[in-house]
Amino acid sequence: MGKVQLQISRRTFLKSAFAGGAGVALAAGQLQQAAAAPAAGTTTPWYYRGQIKSTYSVCDMCPWRCGIIAQSVEGRVFKIDGNPADPKSRGMLCARGQGGVSFMYDPDRLRSPMLRTGERGEGKFQEVTWEEALDHTAEKLLAIKEQYGPESVAIFGHTSGEFWFADYFAQAWGTPNAAKPSSSLCTSPREEASNLTFGFPVGGHEPVDWAGLRCLTLIGSHIGEDSRNTVMQDFANARARGATVIVVDPRFSSVAAKADYWLPIKPGTDTALLLAWINVLITEHRYDADYIAQWAQGFEELAAHVADMTPEWAAAITELDAELIRTTARVMADNLPQSVIMPGRHVTWYGNDTQRMRAVHIINALLGAYGREGGIYFNKSPYIEAYPHPPFAVAGSAGGCSAEPGAESAELPVGPSGKARADGARTKFLRGATAMQELIEPMITGEPYPIKALIVYGTNLLNTVPNPARTLEALKKLDLVVVIDVLPMEHVAWADVVLPEATILERFDDLWTVAHKTPYIALRDQAVEPYADTKPAWWMARELGLRVGLEKFFKWETAEEFVETRLKTIGYSLEKLRSEGGVIVQKGKPYLDDFKSNSPFLTKSGKIELYSEELALAGHDPLPVYTPVEEPPQGYFRLLYGRHPVHTFAKTQNTPLLHQLNPENDLWLNAGVAASLGIEDGDRVYVENQDGVRSGPIKVKVTQRIRPDAVFMSHGFGRNAPQLTLANGRGASDAALISRYTLDPISGGAGMRINFVRIVKEA
Amino acid sequence: MAIHAFLLDISRCIGCEACVAACATGNELPAGMQYIHLIEQTRGEFPNLSGSFKNHRCYHCTDAACVKVCPTGALYKEDGMTRLNREVCIGCAYCTDACPFDVPRIVDGRSSKCDACASATAAGGKPWCVQTCPSDALRYGERQEILAEAHRRVEALKTRYPKARVYGETEAGGLGVIMVLPDDPEVLDLPANPDVPLLVKTWQQVVQPAALSLTALSVAVTGVAAVIARRNHMQELKQLHAQQTKAAQEESQE
Amino acid sequence: MTTANPVMEKPNRERTEEEKLLRYRVGQRIVHAVLATSFLMLLFTGLMILWQPLTLWARDGTSGLIHRIGAVLFMLVPILYLIVDRRGAKELLVESFTYDKDDIAWFKHAGRYFLGRAVGMPPQGRLNAGQKLHHAGVVITSATVVFSGIFMWYAKGNLGASGLALAASIHDLSMLTLTVLLAGHLYFTFVYKALSAMTTGYVPKEEALIEHPKWVEEIEHQQAAHD
Repeated sequence: MGKVQLQISRRTFLKSAFAGGAGVALAAGQLQQAAAAPAAGTTTPWYYRGQIKSTYSVCDMCPWRCGIIAQSVEGRVFKIDGNPADPKSRGMLCARGQGGVSFMYDPDRLRSPMLRTGERGEGKFQEVTWEEALDHTAEKLLAIKEQYGPESVAIFGHTSGEFWFADYFAQAWGTPNAAKPSSSLCTSPREEASNLTFGFPVGGHEPVDWAGLRCLTLIGSHIGEDSRNTVMQDFANARARGATVIVVDPRFSSVAAKADYWLPIKPGTDTALLLAWINVLITEHRYDADYIAQWAQGFEELAAHVADMTPEWAAAITELDAELIRTTARVMADNLPQSVIMPGRHVTWYGNDTQRMRAVHIINALLGAYGREGGIYFNKSPYIEAYPHPPFAVAGSAGGCSAEPGAESAELPVGPSGKARADGARTKFLRGATAMQELIEPMITGEPYPIKALIVYGTNLLNTVPNPARTLEALKKLDLVVVIDVLPMEHVAWADVVLPEATILERFDDLWTVAHKTPYIALRDQAVEPYADTKPAWWMARELGLRVGLEKFFKWETAEEFVETRLKTIGYSLEKLRSEGGVIVQKGKPYLDDFKSNSPFLTKSGKIELYSEELALAGHDPLPVYTPVEEPPQGYFRLLYGRHPVHTFAKTQNTPLLHQLNPENDLWLNAGVAASLGIEDGDRVYVENQDGVRSGPIKVKVTQRIRPDAVFMSHGFGRNAPQLTLANGRGASDAALISRYTLDPISGGAGMRINFVRIVKEA
Repeated sequence: MAIHAFLLDISRCIGCEACVAACATGNELPAGMQYIHLIEQTRGEFPNLSGSFKNHRCYHCTDAACVKVCPTGALYKEDGMTRLNREVCIGCAYCTDACPFDVPRIVDGRSSKCDACASATAAGGKPWCVQTCPSDALRYGERQEILAEAHRRVEALKTRYPKARVYGETEAGGLGVIMVLPDDPEVLDLPANPDVPLLVKTWQQVVQPAALSLTALSVAVTGVAAVIARRNHMQELKQLHAQQTKAAQEESQE
Repeated sequence: MTTANPVMEKPNRERTEEEKLLRYRVGQRIVHAVLATSFLMLLFTGLMILWQPLTLWARDGTSGLIHRIGAVLFMLVPILYLIVDRRGAKELLVESFTYDKDDIAWFKHAGRYFLGRAVGMPPQGRLNAGQKLHHAGVVITSATVVFSGIFMWYAKGNLGASGLALAASIHDLSMLTLTVLLAGHLYFTFVYKALSAMTTGYVPKEEALIEHPKWVEEIEHQQAAHD
């Protein structure tokens, strides 16, 4: 497979290898110089060592998925550049994308399929053939299906191959218990709030229409530390063009340092601020009245609701200056409709997050931003057909940031033996994608029905799902644990079967389709042969499918065949896509004008529902309400977590290059507090939470950049997997310290910023 | 080739470190070696803060102290850039000491610093850091064009940053990294005057040539003089012997 | 160890009528050899980073290593001298910085001595005034070259531009002085056939009588007293 590749001559390569930046034209003279050999006595650069192959693919180093060109020489990838034709990367890449080479050549990678020989958690395995591993897995799965029904198999999926297991295999097999962390541990509140307000979700690519934006408001979004390539590009350009930036964050983040207004809000009080902003917009008649009149309903109720929620009221709650609240609301209004609060991504903070996100969406509506140039555009999925397959055994509801926009159905999907999701949807929470963290309890208690098997694809189970102690308990109870991953992450030691995956540049994969202002389709071609005995997810899913009686879903033999068939539906071929830069960009319908007389809003009323009838009927507040969250006890700080620009989740800490740039996280501690505790910058401390869970040691970063009532650390460190030779034992684990969460009763999101920690000085 | 320069816009840089990683992979830097370092800068006290990132790298001074002091020629100027040929470097660390920006480091016994992607640019590409920078904080091109862009950007920044200025137009003979600064250089931890100190110039332009030439001169002078003096001394001895012989003969005659 | 007093060698072979005097004892000759060797090691390895064409030989780091070994040896010389010949070391130091009327007179005629005419120079002791000045120069510039060298060695990479320039300038100028002194040293050795003083330890009495009459007188006086 993957034998047909672009064979680019050296001259052509030089054009493509270096053409990454914006509009580089190579003069003939330069190319002649290119052909010249390097100076004698110097090490030959990789691009002179042989024939260079350029391969179009999509980056897998974070969920943003930029289009890339991998440059390989003699079967080894040396450099990954952004694909200039790709609407996300536009020829550029972040540090993590650049680190993709280092990630795939990490010597700690899983090499071969393995079967467990010791106890779960001991990490004792025997290397076996793929036949043995897959036969064993299939046999166990069929036995569980026989006894408990297919719904008793849960499938967790993350990273760019998640489709094959968490969507395709899960739906073919017949389990509604497929979940992605990108839903209930990340975006669910945002998506459900948007569904409730506008009738469609925000989507994987936040549809901010950056080009004309004049005022950007960020609530906790830390652009630059969260180094999503396109967002950094758009932010830098918007700001340089003169767009005003308002940042709300308890921490003086990198982007706060670029802001015109920084609001160091007390954690947990954001909804009060948002309501006060709504109050100013409405009482001072600064909202887009024509837009609201035409497109929204429930304005009167909203106006009455916020009448008393003045900046002074919010100031007392948020510990912000009332005038600052008033001023920022006016600045936002002065720039409407080119004024947006960025919806953000990871919004599962306090368990009341859907209401907060509703408030965000309502402000964007009051600013008249939706469907307006320079506001928020309507994204559209690219047109292309799926590979034809028989009807699935169950409809999908895993959601995730890669999910395509779709309305919530009235009925929950039901599996072949009549069971719906086991995560408590409709009972514990109202709606939304499958809540991964709510599938753990059924594994332990067997309620509402037993989950006996778990397939974990690319999900870093113990660093992702809150309360890892409970997850370990669940792992002990399962009849079958199958782990598919690239690296020996912590949960790999708990697997019965370990299936090592080929990384994105070592495999061909399904087309990447992105709902966007300009909907587009990107090729994921193979650059080099897979490492050791690793395999692509599509191959594993198919081989497993053939062994468990799902042959009719796997009529195709290779992913190329799968993709070629899909491409035919839009008059394309693989060859054409390869020769045209690896990306097909289609036309979107981004603005209100594109919809003529139809309403772009897909709510029942066809309008923006400022007041949510649906929430009212379900017994929830139909308008966003500020509910106070628990405060840290004396001597404790609220634990905040976030990103470091060179790391993604708990995935990249062992990547040699990225490890070098940031080998461990540090604990941000307010300088005044540090002085009173007698802690100095660089001291190593332990962090202990309200339940006595301890992590560390971690280096303290004494800084002015954080409020006194909270501490911050970047996510993904404090690892406890000896096979991760670089990452193991470095820094502290926020995941371990998140032993509690509050379930969002609307979206099923797990609010995780409700944990409190104290600092224990190292003995 | 024309004189080139980088543009480094500190007002745009958001510290994402993409440049650092692109540099490391594109140049195949061994583990531990880095040409670019991002350093978080914070000023003021909570909550009245300002911040920036120092994008610390070789600034490619026209009047480069490192080139001046480098004994081997491993460091040299080309197209306005300061190149480093590690093969020739002997690791004396003079460059480390002399650099007004504290940039070169000795790694594995040899100097290590950005060479502005000499091979990649010779092949018609851009430096790896420039190619990947998502914030458009980095550019590379002919110096005059880069300077013009820097001044354009500074003008546009004046409303947000009244103290915005271009740095590197004249400093150290003009830097090969033209910077757009939102504030005074001292505030951003950059030397207001990175020029080569007088002592360094004296050492390089007076002391070293003088030492070499005077040594050579003294060897030459003594070499020539030795022939003459030796002959003189031999004559002197001969006369002495003659006198002694004569005296002895006189003595024996008596 | 040689005897404390310089003795006159009895002509032991018929053919050798030339009478010789012991000028440098074995210990002194060893010290001199160490000093000369380490100095030359330092000079040539140092030149390798002063003059660019020579840097070719500095690349593999061997010359740097040799320079450091040479530096250690060079710094050990005073200690070595004190150990092997405490009196000699003391004499050297004292005499190098003590000048009498004859020395002053000698300097006035130094020009003709330089041109190979020693006969008729003001009478000199064990060391002539030129040698004293040479030794004094060596002692002082050795100190400056050592201290600037130590500074550059231990603070390598942390000197700062001016610190480096200052230390290196002192180092360079010290070596310039020492090298000029060395050239002069070799010059007089050649002109006045003095090499044997440091190889065999003996000099012809004839030469000694011309250049160091007060020293020969002193020896003979001691010899007489001894007999």
